[in-house]
Amino acid sequence: MLKISKIISLLENALFAWLGLAFIFIIAGSGILLPDWLQLVGRTHPLLLHFPIVLLLLGLIFFWIPGIRDKKEIREIGDLSFLAGINFAGLTVVAGLILAQEEYEGDALFWHQWVGIGIFVLSVGIYFLRDRSFRALKPLTLALVAGIFITGHLGANLTHGEDFLLAPIKSAEVELVAMSEAEIFRDMVQPILEAKCQSCHKEGKIKGELRMDYLEGLKKGGKSGPFVIAGDFENSLLIQRINLPGDDKKHMPPKNKPQLTDEEIEILMEWVASGASFEQKVEEADPKSELFQLASLKFNSAKAYTFDPADPDEVEELNNFFRKVQPIYPESPALVVSYFGISAFDPASLNDFKKVKNQIVKLNLNKMPLAGVDLKFLSELSNLEELQLNFTDLDSKQLENLVSLENLRSLALSGNQLDPESLEDLVKIKNLQKLYLWQSGLDDAQKEKLKTALPQTKIDFGYDGRGVIYALNSPKIELEKVLFKDSIELIISHPIKTAEIRYTLDGSEPDSISSPVFKESIWLKKTEKIKAKSFAPDWKRSPSIEALVMKSGITPTDLNLKTQPNEKYKAQGAATLFDQIKGKNNHGSGEWLGYQDQPLDLEFSIENGKAPKELALSLFYNEGSHIFPPAKVEIWTFSQGKWISVINEVPTQSEKEKESRPEVLEYALGTNPLEKIRVRISPISKLPNWHPSAGSKGWIFIDEILLN
Amino acid sequence: MEKEILEQGLNLNRRKFLSRLSLGVGSAALGSLLIPDLFKGGNPSEDAIMDALPHFAPKAKRVIYLFQNGAPSQLETFDYKPLLNKNIGQELPESIRGGQRLTGMTADQKSFPLVGSYFPFQQYGESRAWISSIFPHTASVVDDICIVKSMHTEAINHDPALTFFQTGAQVGNRPSMGSWLSYGLGSENSNLPAFCVLLSRGKGNGQGVYSKLWSNGFLDATHQGVQFSNSEDPVLYLKDPKSMNRDERRKMIDQIAAINDLSFKEFNDPQISAKVQQYEMAYRMQTAVPEMTDISKEPDSVIKMYGPDCLVPGTYAANCLLARKLSESGVRFVQLYHQGWDAHGDLPNQMIGQAKDVDQASAALITDLKQRGLLDETLVIWGGEFGRTNYCQGKILPENYGRDHHPRAFSIWMAGGGVKPGIVYGETDEFGYNIVENPVHVHDFQATILNLMGIDHERLTFKHLGRRYRLTDVSGKVIKDLIA
Repeated sequence: MLKISKIISLLENALFAWLGLAFIFIIAGSGILLPDWLQLVGRTHPLLLHFPIVLLLLGLIFFWIPGIRDKKEIREIGDLSFLAGINFAGLTVVAGLILAQEEYEGDALFWHQWVGIGIFVLSVGIYFLRDRSFRALKPLTLALVAGIFITGHLGANLTHGEDFLLAPIKSAEVELVAMSEAEIFRDMVQPILEAKCQSCHKEGKIKGELRMDYLEGLKKGGKSGPFVIAGDFENSLLIQRINLPGDDKKHMPPKNKPQLTDEEIEILMEWVASGASFEQKVEEADPKSELFQLASLKFNSAKAYTFDPADPDEVEELNNFFRKVQPIYPESPALVVSYFGISAFDPASLNDFKKVKNQIVKLNLNKMPLAGVDLKFLSELSNLEELQLNFTDLDSKQLENLVSLENLRSLALSGNQLDPESLEDLVKIKNLQKLYLWQSGLDDAQKEKLKTALPQTKIDFGYDGRGVIYALNSPKIELEKVLFKDSIELIISHPIKTAEIRYTLDGSEPDSISSPVFKESIWLKKTEKIKAKSFAPDWKRSPSIEALVMKSGITPTDLNLKTQPNEKYKAQGAATLFDQIKGKNNHGSGEWLGYQDQPLDLEFSIENGKAPKELALSLFYNEGSHIFPPAKVEIWTFSQGKWISVINEVPTQSEKEKESRPEVLEYALGTNPLEKIRVRISPISKLPNWHPSAGSKGWIFIDEILLN
Repeated sequence: MEKEILEQGLNLNRRKFLSRLSLGVGSAALGSLLIPDLFKGGNPSEDAIMDALPHFAPKAKRVIYLFQNGAPSQLETFDYKPLLNKNIGQELPESIRGGQRLTGMTADQKSFPLVGSYFPFQQYGESRAWISSIFPHTASVVDDICIVKSMHTEAINHDPALTFFQTGAQVGNRPSMGSWLSYGLGSENSNLPAFCVLLSRGKGNGQGVYSKLWSNGFLDATHQGVQFSNSEDPVLYLKDPKSMNRDERRKMIDQIAAINDLSFKEFNDPQISAKVQQYEMAYRMQTAVPEMTDISKEPDSVIKMYGPDCLVPGTYAANCLLARKLSESGVRFVQLYHQGWDAHGDLPNQMIGQAKDVDQASAALITDLKQRGLLDETLVIWGGEFGRTNYCQGKILPENYGRDHHPRAFSIWMAGGGVKPGIVYGETDEFGYNIVENPVHVHDFQATILNLMGIDHERLTFKHLGRRYRLTDVSGKVIKDLIA
């Protein structure tokens, strides 16, 4: 017990020592020349200050809990921690006063210092009055708590920077600065200084006698010299210090503080290099300079729009499947409008823009049929900058609505035939920077005239393909089917509209003089071999394309296939030959009957009075797969009780390997009435000598027999 | 079926139970304060992400990505290395290779003889860019394109490298770049998909393309790439049957939607609502697609520009022309793949064929967009998944050589859409093996593309399986020097 009371009295006495020391430092102020070791004591201030905060607050709790002071042991614990707290407070005050001699001044320091001293004095008072029934005691303890928080906060601001406490909950949203408005110093340099330098170089803590929180301070420089000298890296202390090695004592920012990023260093250096101006705008800088590049990323390169945004609900209402109306980005008041869907285009819908006419900066009406549409609404879009009207069939007088658009920078009119009248209106749009006039029917003289009339405008006349000669692609033959009963429609088309299509039906090559020109669809009434080619000025003629159509007007009965096709290629048997389905260009497709070891031998009946005059065999040739023209074709007809041979022919044989292809052999049966027909087709027994498999058996493939 | 219904019900109850629990339990509440959406049902934070898009004014509104599948050699296209011609047949110095891993195809090779391009190079345009003789049309638009010679990637084989480029991860299952943009920006034209895919193949050694490359990953199925057909009808089965008119079709779709809606209410499966939307889109596509593909309004100079091949469906040229039409009609992302660049052997012949396929049409696409005033808002990208080695795979013959895969340095080009025109960015060493200046990683490339589209790549995220995913995964920086 004795020992504790001794300690207590020692601590109580020490309080007066701190008071005295503090008094000396306050009186003497900056007049004292501090020895280095004392500076060390001063710098313990940020460490020491935590003790009084905790101990004083702990001690104060014992004043507030009702009845707690009644028990002696507990009361003593409270008193002891309070007493220790006051001692630490005194020590902190003394250390703080020494630290203040270093490089701090200003309002914040003033209040931090005096509130701090006030806390110390007040707590001494409270300590000695603690056991008196003193009415003001509780309010005083509350004042003490308030003091602790205030001085703590001010101290933190001095060390960590203004608003250190609230920064995390303050909105991180920074207003995007428009490129056109941005200033190099205000928007690029100053934010870096604020974030990384000002916590030490500002009112209240003017390290190195340099203040960065106002312009005059920067221009004045610090203790060691000027802050910046335009274009002079060596003598600009800013550049010197930030480029010192990280462990150098004079490296800025100091080791334990947040460092500059590479980009920030680059900005600061470029700023000094470019003249360290405090007023220059970013746009005035050389566009090729590093600074400009950095800025263009940082700032909103989109123009800053000063007009008011439209009502978002109204904008939303303008949107549908065929029209998109959107701000450039969520916060922007500027609207972009695009139309899609040619068939759904309603010219009346162009009048919906009245409510947002000031906000539209970009309008895309490409491909919409605008011929004869009243475009007066365009003249009201006062902020319109870009207008796309490619391939809209504009006619004259429509462009006069654009003349009043002072903000129009880019105009796309490609694919519209412009008449002289329109050109006159075009020339009046003075602020135009880009003009697209590909495929607008202008001759060279008109182009030249436009260029002279609009010297500031970049005009793109596009690619006209003159002098480039390619072969055309073959036209396309469109047939619903290849086999038909009565007649069939033939359509030949080419994707290039200007191409002329010529065709023949006799198997000869079409030429550009005598062959008929294909215009509208033709109806074919018999089996034909179509060949077609396309021709166009400035193009080489296309290769020809072929197609075969086959008429099959009569369907026989009582099919009797006397010889069976090869097991692998039997399709649906004899029915296949009259199913009106043309086989695909592949003998294994299951639509072809194949014979190798024996001839095809087929007999069928014809209904009374429907005797065919012609018979055609639809065959498939592919020498590479041993499929050749037949060795022999024999046809007999049966009438009045006896068989007559009408055809006994050896078709022309292949002489070389060609691509796989369908072929038709046609035979006239004469005009006599007949009841039955028998057909025998023999494959060649030996492949010719030129074939790699000379001597092997050949094949025939047949998918249809046509009777007409 | 019944089991699924039961599970769905249980899931709902479990969710409700948990969310109530979180209100009652103090510690859980505290936890939810610290991790903001720990207990939130659904994904309200995704809504917040979507509302803020685009994050800033976009430079490009649409992308056309001309993917050269199989990896074209940078040394025969844009990276001119005369040293390789001078030192032909000499060994690749180990100091240059630096222990770089090789593929199984050349790892066992005893010698790595350097080989230079058999095609001469020439300088073009204001940037004096070197371009090889097999790309004359590309050379003619050199002032409109930005050549990046310092691309590098992490993968060394086709599938992972391709997947990495498209989805930001080497393994499949992540959304493709086009899906991310569809998710972030939606379609400009509500009558067409936001993300379309067109395939073609050249005669060179080919590598596969798979639908996982245009997958929506964990995003909603509506963001999946729509693959167009190589036939005359780019979109199959779009025509109504002869006897059916528009009104009947409308009624049919409404009925199907009503039935689907019932099962959606029962199962809550988002795939069902995606399906309903796809039916709706298909209905509108029935008029939008024929209008879009209609070339009757195209003058024949367009055909000459792309080359007559553009009239043959399924060719690269036809796909380029179709890509322009899609893009012009508001499709956000058109992805082309041209196969056949994997020239391990027979490189000179294969390169000539491949270049013939793509050179004219790629250049035409730029000219075509430009003359319509659309190049400023359309970003065109040309490039493969990695580069090719500076040493020969197999033996060097007077007429022939081959190159293996090389991820450390390769070239691509971009044009329009806010990219700086007429520049060459980055540099490789004189062996064309390592990057010596301004490297661009695949994630940097992706971050830059998103930036051009008005998106901060770090803020376009989607929460899946407890973590937020983004196209650039955990890295990537915007290459500001590429942006105009």
